[in-house]
Amino acid sequence: MTLLEIKDLCVDYTVGADSLRAVDQVSISVAAGEAVGIAGESGCGKTTLGLAVPGLLPANATPTGSVQLLGEEMIGRSEDDLNELRWTKVSFIFQGAMNALNPVHRIDRQILEPIRTHEPNTASAAAKERVSQLLELVGVSPSRARSFPHEFSGGMRQRVMIAMALACRPSLLIADEPTTALDVISQSQILSLLGDLQREQQLGLLLISHDLAAIRRTCDRVVVMYAGVVVETGPTAVILGRGTEKRTAAHPYTQALIKAHPDLAGERVLAQALPGHPPDLSIPIKGCRFYDRCSVRKSICHEVAPTLRPVAGTAHLAACHLVGGDVT
Amino acid sequence: MSLDKRPSLPVEPGEDTMQPSSRIPWWRAVWGDRMGRVGLVLVVVVLALVVVGPMIFPFAASSFGLSADSILQPPSGGHWLGTDELGRDVFRQVLVGGQISLLVGLSATAIAMVVGAGLGLVSGYYAGWRDNVLMRITDFFLVLPTLPLIIALAALLGQSVVITSLVIGLTSWPQTTRIIRSQVLSLRERPLVLRVRSLGATDRRTIWVHIFPNVSPLIFANLVLVLAGAILSEASLAFLGLGDPVHVSWGTMLHFAFTSGAMSRGAWWYVLPPGIGIVILVLGFSLVGHSLDRILNPQSRGAR
Amino acid sequence: MSVRYLARKVFSLAVTLYAVASFNFLLFHVLPGNPVRLMARAGHLDPAAVAQLKQLFGLDRSLPIQYLIYLRDLIQGNLGFSYVYRQPVTTVLGPAIRNTVLLLGTATLLTIVVGVGLGVIAGARANSRTDTSVVVSSLVLWSLPTFWTGMILIFICGVWFHLLPISGINTLGYSFTSLGHLVDLGKHLILPTLTLALVNVAEFALITRSSLVDVMSEDYMVTARAKGLRRRVIVWRHGVRNALLPIVTATALYMGLVLGGAIQVEAVFSWPGMGLLSYKAVLSRDYPVLEASFLIFAVAVIIMNFASDLLYRALDPRVRQS
Repeated sequence: MTLLEIKDLCVDYTVGADSLRAVDQVSISVAAGEAVGIAGESGCGKTTLGLAVPGLLPANATPTGSVQLLGEEMIGRSEDDLNELRWTKVSFIFQGAMNALNPVHRIDRQILEPIRTHEPNTASAAAKERVSQLLELVGVSPSRARSFPHEFSGGMRQRVMIAMALACRPSLLIADEPTTALDVISQSQILSLLGDLQREQQLGLLLISHDLAAIRRTCDRVVVMYAGVVVETGPTAVILGRGTEKRTAAHPYTQALIKAHPDLAGERVLAQALPGHPPDLSIPIKGCRFYDRCSVRKSICHEVAPTLRPVAGTAHLAACHLVGGDVT
Repeated sequence: MSLDKRPSLPVEPGEDTMQPSSRIPWWRAVWGDRMGRVGLVLVVVVLALVVVGPMIFPFAASSFGLSADSILQPPSGGHWLGTDELGRDVFRQVLVGGQISLLVGLSATAIAMVVGAGLGLVSGYYAGWRDNVLMRITDFFLVLPTLPLIIALAALLGQSVVITSLVIGLTSWPQTTRIIRSQVLSLRERPLVLRVRSLGATDRRTIWVHIFPNVSPLIFANLVLVLAGAILSEASLAFLGLGDPVHVSWGTMLHFAFTSGAMSRGAWWYVLPPGIGIVILVLGFSLVGHSLDRILNPQSRGAR
Repeated sequence: MSVRYLARKVFSLAVTLYAVASFNFLLFHVLPGNPVRLMARAGHLDPAAVAQLKQLFGLDRSLPIQYLIYLRDLIQGNLGFSYVYRQPVTTVLGPAIRNTVLLLGTATLLTIVVGVGLGVIAGARANSRTDTSVVVSSLVLWSLPTFWTGMILIFICGVWFHLLPISGINTLGYSFTSLGHLVDLGKHLILPTLTLALVNVAEFALITRSSLVDVMSEDYMVTARAKGLRRRVIVWRHGVRNALLPIVTATALYMGLVLGGAIQVEAVFSWPGMGLLSYKAVLSRDYPVLEASFLIFAVAVIIMNFASDLLYRALDPRVRQS
């Protein structure tokens, strides 16, 4: 069953008189029980994409296209209608739970809040019981339910956020850089937790991260974004390599990304940073967006924007002229 | 800081047209900001009236007809704003009174800025125990209620333009000190300052040549706001009868209006103009001051 | 809140109070030189009484001794003797303090309720037209001199249209029932309260607005939205609750400044409170009363600051730790 179906989504930001397209014709789908990772540098539009799903974009962002959550169209929905679906069907885990939790409310109150809002008929005792269960599920002792967010470490706060996100039994979980602000050990623990929860409860997971290792570890499929477009997508094992499977990323950008994040357990290679920076999206771009930084570019790359095409006829797609025989 | 008003307000009206903080002169930057533009216009209009007015309109300031039909007369052709309780022309008084209000405001502000910025610079630059002591003193003065203190000082020291300016100035500096001090504290850690000091620059030189120019925009923005408050303070003080009886300011005019029973006679022409003058002048300066503050502090509030 | 912290705070409060008392001494006994000379200058004394008074006031003693006498009197609750009223100052202060508390209490309540309300409306819709009009009117109100605002209100409500009483605290020459008395009191309270509120509403409106705008851009506000909460809940339970802290700080500052406003309002409306008392004391150079009023004002502000400090800690769990 398809949980999330994003089709040709575009998001335009208006700043003063200028307009900027942060997400351009992106299509993604997530099935129940499936974990999809969205990888890319800062500013590639992945966070915007994530926010667009529950309709959390700021006022100056206009989404067009289609975002269907469990068959319900999200774009153009009224705020009241969106509120019904938020947290009950789709939850969001923010990056850096430092500020994502209200500093002046105790955490039991913060977890209870969506329960009381969306399921107002729940008895008080039952609700409190659920809070304890959720905390235990994420590895936080229920005795700490009366604490304030600042009394927890970063890793614990993120766990609380996850517990809170599961409060209304959503079908889809969107996690935006859930481990970025954490130390390495906490990162690993949170990722394990997310993976376990997702599998146990058959949740759909949309993991947004610039950390390829996190995606490699947790996700079944990966979508690589650059400058607002999808440049490569397919099974994680194929693109990023997993376990003994060798990676076969086809897009030069993905390859560069991988080179910048060498695998701890893989061959010993020097990390290679990718020079340059993404293009200015307020200026329309003609050809491939990666042209300026690509080491294998051809003249056609400057003229025509490449579309996503299958690599060797599989579910692995890449948007590059060098794939699929446009160029020799 | 003023007697009955807050020292500064956090203001962010919408539609701001913030200029890049490059080398444009301050008045152009303020003109570009809608709020600042209105403020500048108000200030200039009042300044023109008050400075140039008395020269253009040399009505005999003393038309001391004390008969019943020359005192507290409503506006007429001969007296545009009517007459006061001694038969004098109100319009001319308003023009001249504005000069005094402005003069006292400016003098008081000068004193407050010299003391306030001076202490702020010293306190922030040296930090350490000097800072501690100065901050304790500053906090103490911040806590003292302003108008009661000013009243007490004026009652004890006498009534003149000089004393009024002194008294207002010496009670308005604490806010400035805090603002300047915190800016200097962060500035002294900047590479430029460390570099200059390691090359052997004396403290005085470092403060004057390197730190002061960086703080002066902030001082200027604060100055304008303090000026707005000082004018209000002078008005309140004068209204309570503690102003200079010889040099009549707008506040003093209102004092006479109130105590002479002009109110019960319905003499609105005596009460409205000086007050409106104060409001326009203070509003103008506070608009400019807040506009400056926003221009110089682009990262403050809501601009994330 | 730990006992140790409270103890430290109380000690700090005591030190400040002592500092203010000493400052008061400096101001009224050291600065003007010889107070007896001042009184003589103001025409209260005949020359023969001067020497007698000098001895009475201990002015023939050295300054440090005078200081100790002053402190002793203070602790004993002796605030001196008023020249004008021919009574102990404390007797004169009693009813005055009551009346001022009534006025300021009512005015502050009104100011905070309206000010914070306006600020929330403006801050929740930052940069809208509502927001701009709130900000602009606040700026204009801030520029109004308190006393002049009172005078204008007197014109409108008292002179041109006889709507409300414009002076005093009750209508003289009438005797009312208790309820009638209360109503009469209320009517007299309206204009002075309105004046104070009009002029001070700006501060709270602007600080609330600014604080709320800051808070609205915090991450936890997006979390609240993501949870599917209604807008009103988000703004009040999450936004305003976090925006309260600067408002509490503003209240502390406001206390120091509203006293100046009270003096002006009481002078204009002849409201028999501490403000009018000080005003009259200035006019008649009744120094003991002036000195005592200043002390009372300063002490009031310090205690309010102390209280708001405690309130701040109660509201912000992050601060409690330190």
